[in-house]
Amino acid sequence: MISPLPIEAPVPPSTAIVARTSRGYWREAGGRLRRNRIGIVSGGVLLFFVVVALAAPLLAALITHTDYRSIDLINTFARPLTPSHILGTDELGRDELTRLLFGAQVSMGIGFLAVVVALTIGACVGLVAGFYGGLIDGLLMRFVDMILATPAIFLFILMSILFKPNTITLSLIIASVGWGSIARLVRGEVLSVRTRDFMVAARAFGASDARLIFRHLLPNVLHVMIVFGSLYLGQVVLIEAALDFLGLGISPPTPSWGNMLTNSETYFFHSSWLVIWPGVTIFLTVLAANLFGNAVRDAFDPRLR
Amino acid sequence: MPAPLLEVRDLKTQFFTPEGVVKAVDGVSFELHAGETLGIVGESGCGKSVTALSIMRLIPRPGRIVGGSVLFEGRDLVGLSAAEMQEVRGESIAMIFQDPMTSLNPVFRVGWQVGEPLVIHQAKDNASAGVEATRMLAKVGIPNPQQRARDFPHHFSGGMRQRAMIAMGLTTTPAVLIADEPTTALDVTIQAQILDLLRHVNREFGMATILITHNLGVVAGMCERVMVMYAGRIVESGPTADVFAHPKHPYTWSLLRSIPRLDADRREPLKPIEGSPPDLIDPPAGCSFHPRCAFRVDRCSHDDPRLQPVGDTQQAACWVTQAGTELPRA
Repeated sequence: MISPLPIEAPVPPSTAIVARTSRGYWREAGGRLRRNRIGIVSGGVLLFFVVVALAAPLLAALITHTDYRSIDLINTFARPLTPSHILGTDELGRDELTRLLFGAQVSMGIGFLAVVVALTIGACVGLVAGFYGGLIDGLLMRFVDMILATPAIFLFILMSILFKPNTITLSLIIASVGWGSIARLVRGEVLSVRTRDFMVAARAFGASDARLIFRHLLPNVLHVMIVFGSLYLGQVVLIEAALDFLGLGISPPTPSWGNMLTNSETYFFHSSWLVIWPGVTIFLTVLAANLFGNAVRDAFDPRLR
Repeated sequence: MPAPLLEVRDLKTQFFTPEGVVKAVDGVSFELHAGETLGIVGESGCGKSVTALSIMRLIPRPGRIVGGSVLFEGRDLVGLSAAEMQEVRGESIAMIFQDPMTSLNPVFRVGWQVGEPLVIHQAKDNASAGVEATRMLAKVGIPNPQQRARDFPHHFSGGMRQRAMIAMGLTTTPAVLIADEPTTALDVTIQAQILDLLRHVNREFGMATILITHNLGVVAGMCERVMVMYAGRIVESGPTADVFAHPKHPYTWSLLRSIPRLDADRREPLKPIEGSPPDLIDPPAGCSFHPRCAFRVDRCSHDDPRLQPVGDTQQAACWVTQAGTELPRA
């Protein structure tokens, strides 16, 4: 005969596990991101461009002492390192550095705005489609398929003709195509999260659909959105530059890195710096955005660990 | 006798699959009185969980409640709107689930989650809900509740998570707590602790408890009354002591007989119930248990028995015992 198990043990008097700091998912992901040297450097480059964009008028006043519109027909095609024109001047004698500074406003402004808009729309559509499933899911996702099946450049050109492009409308135009991809990604993630027990449990405790979607589902798919957003930023900068270059984006006299390239292609063999400066700036920004996006993905995507 | 708190009448829940209609719950009726502990036992796939989910109106697609009613304090839950049902869930009837490892949202601190029903139902702000949650965590035996409330679920062991789930269920002091296999995913010593806790809170808060399990030992230790389910129906019900001492349905008898005994000869083989549970899309004619039944008579294969009083305190759906035959000792 085996003696009965001592099952009368209501509360384990456990005090062994005490002082241990709680580190949540976000803090751990943040820590991993901080330890990624390439990620930090590329993030720093992006931050640098953001600061430049925000401080463009101030920097113009303090460093270049000129305005991006001020034409100086005596000093056209000044070479770089000319005193008072560090990066040279263009065909109208406008200071190249000043124009790059203000161009950052366009690129960064459109970049971040398009990312935010695309993420917001895409996440809402993805969450709703994935959460409700069935007919709603079918309709929304077929609409996304339609948008993603149409050549993007065609949509951009069409909308640029329909709406007069400025920073806001151009962001919306770019985001109006970009939200499709994030909607798909978020929906896919929702499909796997929504069947987890805690969703049923939350519903069993009386949570409404809105609460389930935004309180319980959204934080669980946020990592997908963060990773997509940071990679998408580079794409947006590139798309915007391409549209400017085609003359479908921001039009002169407002300088943007893209339309500075358009202007200067004529002078490539004559004054190559006019092509090199905006080209290198775009290259650096996109490279930084992509490297930073990769670093963010490595830090946040649990599947890659 | 006062009116029952919860009265389930002829509940029918079916799943409409491409293979056919699965009659997961097929005409279940029972009552639950305030403060009572009711056990529902049966093999996997006999409709225990679907019964519980039907009461909560949480049947996933392609399932649907196709008939019957669930009267809670006189109100039929089956007819309530989605918004009215949200009010009932968590506030009047709470449910805890089998797998505590996945029942808590991994991105929120435990304290916040335990307090969430209060935020939902009693319009409390996060701070006062958090205070209440910490108090509840202490009540369910979480050491250092103040600090542990700030932990994330992955810092908790399985037993502690189930304690947290129970705390979550208790915050609003619901009238009914449905525990769907609350100990199945836990190891034996933790099981005992969780059952002890459930017994304790049942006494302290006076809430009625429905305990769903396939573990007969759990029922014996916890429940005043037990219902045995088979193929989506109740085949026997009655006071736990009576049902276990003198089962009135061959299925109950077989279940009890299949429990391995510590004092049995170790070389003696286990006694399983022959065969497997029936196909719920196309159940056998007559009594759904008859193909596996050791006591079947001719009538069982074509005539479907109904749940009838057998003996003084029990009910059973069996032609054999309804005719007065006593089953042998299990």
